[in-house]
Amino acid sequence: MGTPAGAGDRMDPVMPKHDEKHYWKSLEERDGAIDPAALPEFLAVPSGADWRTTRRGFLVAAGFGLAGTALSSCSRAPVERAIPFLLQPEAVTPGRASFYASTCAGCSAGCGLIVKSRDGRPIKLEGNPDHPVSRGGLCAVGQASILGLYDSQRLDAPTREGRRTSWDEADRAILSSLAEIRQQRRPVRFLTSTITSPTTRATIDAFLASFADARHVTYDSLSASAVLDAHERTHGARLLPRYRFDRAEVIVGVDADFLGTWISPVEYTAGYRSGRTLGDALARMSFHAQIESRMSLTGAKADLRVVLAPAQYGLLMAHLADRVARLAGANSPFELLAAPPVAPALVDTLAERLWHAREKSLVVCGSNEVGLQVLCNAINHTLGAYGGTIDLDRPSFQQQGSDRQIEELLGDLSKGSVAALLVAGVNPVYELPGGEALAQHLKKVPLVISFSSHLDETSSLARFVCPDRHYLESWADAEPVAGALCVTQPVIGPIGGTRQLIESLAAWSGAPKPAYELLRESWMTRVYPRRLADQPFEAFWDRAVHDGFVEVAANAPAGRTFAAAAASVPAAAPAAAGTLALVLYPKVAMLDGRGALNPWLHELPDPITKTTWDNYACLSPAAASALHVAEGDIVRIEVGGGSGPSSAIELPACLQPGQHDGVVAVALGYGRMGTERFAKVGPRWLEARPTVGDDGRVGKNAAPLASLSDGALRYSGAPVRVVKTGRRRDLAVTQSHHYIAVPAHLAPAGGARRPIVQETTLPAYVKDPAAGSHGHHEAKEDLWPSDHSYPGRRWKMVIDLTACTGCSACVIACQVENNVPVVGRDEVRRHREMHWMRIDRYYADRADGGVDVIQQPMLCQHCENASCETVCPVLATVHSEEGLNQQVYNRCVGTRYCANNCPYKVRRFNWFDYPREDRLQHLVLNPDVVVRSRGVMEKCSMCVQRIQDAKVEAKRQGLPLSDGAVQTACQQSCPAKAITFGDANDPESRVARLLKDPRHFRVLEELNVKPSVGYLTLIRNRAEGEGGGATGHE
Amino acid sequence: MSEHAVSLRAPLITGDKSIAQVTDDVCAPMEGRPTALWWGAFIVAFAVMLLGVAAVSYQIATGIGTWGVNRTVGWAFDITNFVFWIGIGHAGTLISAILFLLRQRWRTSVNRAAEAMTIFAVICAAIFPLIHMGRPWFAYWVLPLPNTRGSLWVNFRSPLLWDVFAIGTYFTISVVFWYVGLLPDLATVRDRIKEGARRRIFAFFSLGWNGSYRTWHHYEAVYLLLAALGTALVVSVHSIVSMDFATSLVPGWHTTIFPPYFVAGAIFSGMAMVLTLMIIARKTMRLENYITIRHVEIMAKLVLTTGSIVGLAYATEFFIAAYSNNPYEQFVFINRAFGPFAWAYWIMVSCNVIAPQLFWFKRVRTNLAAVFVLSLFVNVGMWFERFVLIVTSLHRDYLPSSWADYAPTSVELATLAGSFGLFFTCFLLFCRFLPVIAISEVKAVVAHDRRTFGGGR
Repeated sequence: MGTPAGAGDRMDPVMPKHDEKHYWKSLEERDGAIDPAALPEFLAVPSGADWRTTRRGFLVAAGFGLAGTALSSCSRAPVERAIPFLLQPEAVTPGRASFYASTCAGCSAGCGLIVKSRDGRPIKLEGNPDHPVSRGGLCAVGQASILGLYDSQRLDAPTREGRRTSWDEADRAILSSLAEIRQQRRPVRFLTSTITSPTTRATIDAFLASFADARHVTYDSLSASAVLDAHERTHGARLLPRYRFDRAEVIVGVDADFLGTWISPVEYTAGYRSGRTLGDALARMSFHAQIESRMSLTGAKADLRVVLAPAQYGLLMAHLADRVARLAGANSPFELLAAPPVAPALVDTLAERLWHAREKSLVVCGSNEVGLQVLCNAINHTLGAYGGTIDLDRPSFQQQGSDRQIEELLGDLSKGSVAALLVAGVNPVYELPGGEALAQHLKKVPLVISFSSHLDETSSLARFVCPDRHYLESWADAEPVAGALCVTQPVIGPIGGTRQLIESLAAWSGAPKPAYELLRESWMTRVYPRRLADQPFEAFWDRAVHDGFVEVAANAPAGRTFAAAAASVPAAAPAAAGTLALVLYPKVAMLDGRGALNPWLHELPDPITKTTWDNYACLSPAAASALHVAEGDIVRIEVGGGSGPSSAIELPACLQPGQHDGVVAVALGYGRMGTERFAKVGPRWLEARPTVGDDGRVGKNAAPLASLSDGALRYSGAPVRVVKTGRRRDLAVTQSHHYIAVPAHLAPAGGARRPIVQETTLPAYVKDPAAGSHGHHEAKEDLWPSDHSYPGRRWKMVIDLTACTGCSACVIACQVENNVPVVGRDEVRRHREMHWMRIDRYYADRADGGVDVIQQPMLCQHCENASCETVCPVLATVHSEEGLNQQVYNRCVGTRYCANNCPYKVRRFNWFDYPREDRLQHLVLNPDVVVRSRGVMEKCSMCVQRIQDAKVEAKRQGLPLSDGAVQTACQQSCPAKAITFGDANDPESRVARLLKDPRHFRVLEELNVKPSVGYLTLIRNRAEGEGGGATGHE
Repeated sequence: MSEHAVSLRAPLITGDKSIAQVTDDVCAPMEGRPTALWWGAFIVAFAVMLLGVAAVSYQIATGIGTWGVNRTVGWAFDITNFVFWIGIGHAGTLISAILFLLRQRWRTSVNRAAEAMTIFAVICAAIFPLIHMGRPWFAYWVLPLPNTRGSLWVNFRSPLLWDVFAIGTYFTISVVFWYVGLLPDLATVRDRIKEGARRRIFAFFSLGWNGSYRTWHHYEAVYLLLAALGTALVVSVHSIVSMDFATSLVPGWHTTIFPPYFVAGAIFSGMAMVLTLMIIARKTMRLENYITIRHVEIMAKLVLTTGSIVGLAYATEFFIAAYSNNPYEQFVFINRAFGPFAWAYWIMVSCNVIAPQLFWFKRVRTNLAAVFVLSLFVNVGMWFERFVLIVTSLHRDYLPSSWADYAPTSVELATLAGSFGLFFTCFLLFCRFLPVIAISEVKAVVAHDRRTFGGGR
């Protein structure tokens, strides 16, 4: 094991130096009696596999046990003593957390992590604020990936034909098979998702080099293959550029959910947010238009949202290219164009705004049609975006998949010509259309080796499963963006007998080596030569491990110049009567199903629909009423034409305002094998209903409805028929009323829209920074003297609604930090979700028929005149002298009066003893936070354990508590840096400055509960009073 | 009072009963074997009570989650039932204490049963605050007991704590008042029993009552004092219960009208329950001469009066909501009348405001069947009043994001039924083992001997 170097200010600032002197810690070590390197760095978790019991041993143990039991029963009561380490591991202080830098492998975006580890077990993942890609944020998927480490259903040994085996046996069998294939020169295929790790790629290449016909096939189930293919056409290099949203002043997104799920959402959100910073001297506000058919997280944030059927994107892009080219004084790439699918003035506006901000404008397209992407490149080229907002010199490696390659491979497999298929990081039987056929073809392949950590649709068909380690147990690296080399270091000894992919490959290549050595060697030869500053390798390596990343010279093909490719308008097939266009989309947190085994992610409400534990058919209210479908009615979606059994799925309907009327949208990633485990989630009682569906799984797999043809994986546009089945399935929704206004027929005169959120437009804000204010309720003289004086600190929080995208990373961060239980689908349906932090999402109908969306994070407001505190009969909720509203779980008797009396409804009650899945999962619990029992109330504590920790640390160092030393879990994870927390009594603190911002307001201020959490007015970059949106024409 | 005055005033007790007959009539149900009707009623009530016991045991073993309550609607059936039963428990003390002080002599025929009803209703009520707690085994933490858990104390600012004191006091005084009133009758029963354990029990509980002048003197002094104490409690208990809602922040709860409105509502529901029970009792226990149409009529008038006050309170709430210009408050009331729980609201209005107006007609007031049906309506309506008040105010409060619906589970329905089972079990046992009419007090108002001895007062 290598140097466990940390990051952050808590770590030993002295870096280990490369030195000839040998320091010894004990005489034994000096004399060579013990080898310090051989001592385990982390506590091993016994797997139970290698325990041997002999007859003698059994008798000894039985005798000892009998005597021990007899003796111990003589004492009056068992005395439990905590036993200290006999040999105290270096740098481990019981009760104090260590922090290690690492790299997230939740998806291929490669965000930087800081792993919080307590007593040898990682308990929380945080964003690495210095990281060049993610810049401090961490999304919900990344946050939740820690639970996968403590997953008892992970394979803990290799399997052969479905039976457990040992690594030695597996290696022998695989080596002999491989030798045979090598000898017969038969084809070998290595199928992976995008691998950004140079070491892993090199190891795979080295492994494959020994075969005569070997190929590494990469595909991404959420494919951006068309972006790479388009750049191959227009720039001569198949690469994914790095989009610099931070440099963009005008952004036009076409079906690209870049804030939610597209390629690298944390990175893009950070960039997007830095382009939309208001207040102080730094007033920047980019303009963002989104063209899409369903309501995405990104569209919900857009200043201008255009609703368009998927088939019409091409025509709109062509018009945009045409207009931009004309503004640039160039020839239009098109001779004749059909009328635009939106008002021509809208196209003009978009084109003019893009052109006006040329070199600082950006068009991104999420479609997987190469033609559209070529158009997009042409527009960006005309705008001068390449070199400005699009970086080709330091491109991104976050998506490398090629749909053409996987299509070829599937063809080979169907012909039965592949001798060995190795599958890592993907689950093609589940993820690809035609998965059932693929399952049949896989049976024809003599040797299928899967590296999956679970038995999934693909690995259950593999002859050998050689389970890869969880990334928190692994040594690895990543290069998400050219020149940004990231390190993944193990933070716990492996749980179970798994082996890293590169170790397996090294073993099969005839040179077995631990991953650490493989990685160091690879860095010595591949990364170290690219160093920017001259320094010895040891220092270079230690710095990289300590920081979690190192910046080196980009090793990418130099940026090519634009070569105009033939741009054509992708033909828009007119929709047949009675059909809807199918849109398959990755859902925030669930993505392509990689989160499907994680109960946190299942219970995370979708940021837009607020639905948990299911996928569903999103229909616009108009489309639903045309089909006579109400929310929760099960509909059958049939792919038009020759419909086989696999090309129809039945899903409950979900009414989605702001969606195109001709579209039905379905989330991918559901119905995965392994979700049967969630049958056990949630309390079991008389009227409990199961979390899983009738087929025993959570949701339905929509991937069979996609299509893979002509080198492109297509998720949208297929014409489908939607038929009502007459059955119902209530969706588990956390928010059942979706408007900030009360229902019209119940609204009191003038009181329909509640003043909960302030919003305004940029021009109004420029004129008056307090624009949009509902009027501050000036503090009147109170009848009673203040109960609280706050002599020391006064913790307050401010949330910038302009920055917040609603991505819900904070919700999971809070759940992990505060041991919030998972309650299951039925409990959510009964409005009993336990999240301390929620995001309220409100729609507003606009005059032009469009829909505006507001996202408002809502958590305990820590009121000064807290209505919960006065009503508790047993003083279980009290006010701290630093302004925190504290819940005393041990004292709570559970009258729920506090929750009734809370105007923000942020209190959560333990209706049952909500069980964790098993004891292994208990290891993820934060020991600083009490696990609440049944019958007590709980709520946001403003991460009081972090406040205490920071205070103790400051006191230990004899320094004053600096602003920013305390970061709440939600604040830390926020990719948009929307949350500011600090001491309002310190006039220099950031939170104190924001409290004086004219945009600052409090929710329900008129109640005079004096909340400590404030919000900053939501500013939209659109003309004052302008509707600003449009709906496409059919 | 002269002889002709007696003949002018209609007698409270009909049938020209002699004093001995009064004793015989009232003691008859205690001394005979229980009738098949009693057994049938008792078995049903006891079975329903056991159902409730099962439901509550299951709920305490499993969790409050077995109820339909949720993060938004934190109280529903539990507190509805609590306030309902507390309201029922108001008639007894009102009849015993206030009417005693007001020298309403008709009260003598119904006060014993009404007081018993009060006690059983308060028992039923007191169960709900206990079982609605998440951790009922720590319920004693709401008592200001000196303890060894550091400086832990109760929160005197919490209306729930006021409830603890109010209900505790009310229950104590009600029991003492009822028991003191029972003393002369317990002695009468004692004296009618020849020998055996029953006699010894009654002898013990009659506290050596010997009917002497001194005994009667002490008795009447104590009874008067307790009546004066009880009078204050009639007003205080429900006022304080109403503060659970009135002092909160929830629109629809935060209303200053609640104390008088709740007291009127409590008397309204209590009287209705007394009517329901008495109409059955006089028939099945052959007490028609003691509980006469006149009694029924007077109580019907009280129901009419308090029902009208309740109706006025409903109207006032709407007016104040409109007048306040508070959109949250306004919305709650519009939502009550026309929102998802409109059905409950209109049941409440029909039963509580419209139905009792029929009591303006003497023909309705003196028709036992009509009074019985209307009293049932009022009972139903008053249960729904509390349901509407609690659930419709909570389910859609300030932030529309947290709005939620509510539906009871089978466990909650069984618990509600069980509370009725408990109530009727207790009441049937009371009918069987104690004199349901205050013998000694009734004897003071019988007309029989007045002519002979120039009686009356």
